[in-house]
Amino acid sequence: MKRILFLGLILFLPACEPDDICSDSTQTTSPLVIEFFNIENLSDTKTVPGLFAIGLDVNGNEVVVDGEVVSSRNKIALPLDVSQNQTQFKLYQNYSVADGIVQGNPDTITITYTSESVYVSKACGYKNVFTIQSFEIQSDLDLWMIVSSIAINEVANENETHVEILH
Amino acid sequence: MKMKHMSRYYIRLLLILLISAPLFAQDNENELPQDSTAFKEKYGLRFGIDLSRLGRTAFDSDYSGFEINADYRLTKRLYVAGELGFEDKTTSTYFLDSNAKGSYFKAGVDFNLYRNWLGMQNMIFSGLRTGIGSFSQTRERYTIYDANNQTWGEVSNDESIEYSGLTAAWVELLFGVKTELFNNLFLGLNVQLKVRIADTDINNFENIYIPGFGRTYDSTKIGTGFSYTLSYLLPIYKKGPKKKKNVGEEQPTDN
Repeated sequence: MKRILFLGLILFLPACEPDDICSDSTQTTSPLVIEFFNIENLSDTKTVPGLFAIGLDVNGNEVVVDGEVVSSRNKIALPLDVSQNQTQFKLYQNYSVADGIVQGNPDTITITYTSESVYVSKACGYKNVFTIQSFEIQSDLDLWMIVSSIAINEVANENETHVEILH
Repeated sequence: MKMKHMSRYYIRLLLILLISAPLFAQDNENELPQDSTAFKEKYGLRFGIDLSRLGRTAFDSDYSGFEINADYRLTKRLYVAGELGFEDKTTSTYFLDSNAKGSYFKAGVDFNLYRNWLGMQNMIFSGLRTGIGSFSQTRERYTIYDANNQTWGEVSNDESIEYSGLTAAWVELLFGVKTELFNNLFLGLNVQLKVRIADTDINNFENIYIPGFGRTYDSTKIGTGFSYTLSYLLPIYKKGPKKKKNVGEEQPTDN
């Protein structure tokens, strides 16, 4: 009987190995989350009509943000460039394309940050945690964003809002 | 259970027949001297190597390892046993490459569960060990896990960092067999169930593989292993059963 018990115990063990796959529920590298609030009533979120983001690389060339679609919303998640300490985006209000011509009001934001690799697990390896140094809205003649403030410096959790913008 | 009793009965019957068969033939001869028939078992030091680690070293480019093992027979069923080894293992995933290397020592006991027939020295055993390992671990490369890396691209770091002076301790439960192939030469197989008791914490990393223990898991402290051993018994002395029995008696090998 003892022997059978032993064998059973041993056969049962290596049945599954959840350590080999990094699960979606694990918090890995977080995007920057920006939430939009009403300038007239600071406690209310305010939807940005036709919000659309385009990345700008170090040379100022436009980069398509993966998964980004035009939609009216009060929150946007933007991936930061891990290889740099600064990322720029053009955020459009009322974005549309008619006959190949882009319509809408773009404002450029610049985020500077420091990066740190933080160990997660065997399957996920390392994630990057950003610490925001500054968040700027580049001035132009027709700004739709008025004021920005950093809510949480450490970009580690995608369920948090890191930057708040009033418009 | 009934089956077991039945089979034991047949084995006894068979043994009695086998043992007594020559006696019928010897009926006319003189009585055998009493002592010569009491079988004495060998006691001694058995030492060997782990063939599975040698095999893996030959065929797995990410692994090299070596293990010697020894046991010493204390009583009829109890052995003190130990293993000494070295392992060097590289673990690679898409996101992380690391290497662990170091040596380990395991000590404990083996208990023979098998009742041998006369003259045989096979073992079906279970054992208990405590193990300690001293090792170093190197993080060789990682790619940052970023689900949103389609926009800006992946970022890797090839900077190699070695964490040395690491230790680990664990306990093992063994279950295995040892069969005597030729005189005093044994082939054995055993599986090990291990529980990690302690290991050195590494800042911003962890022990992915512990020499002697094997790979670690996030979800559990448990680990597994197996060995395929070839060992040689160096007999030191022989000891028989306490009461010597005459072959003519109908008492088989129930020892």
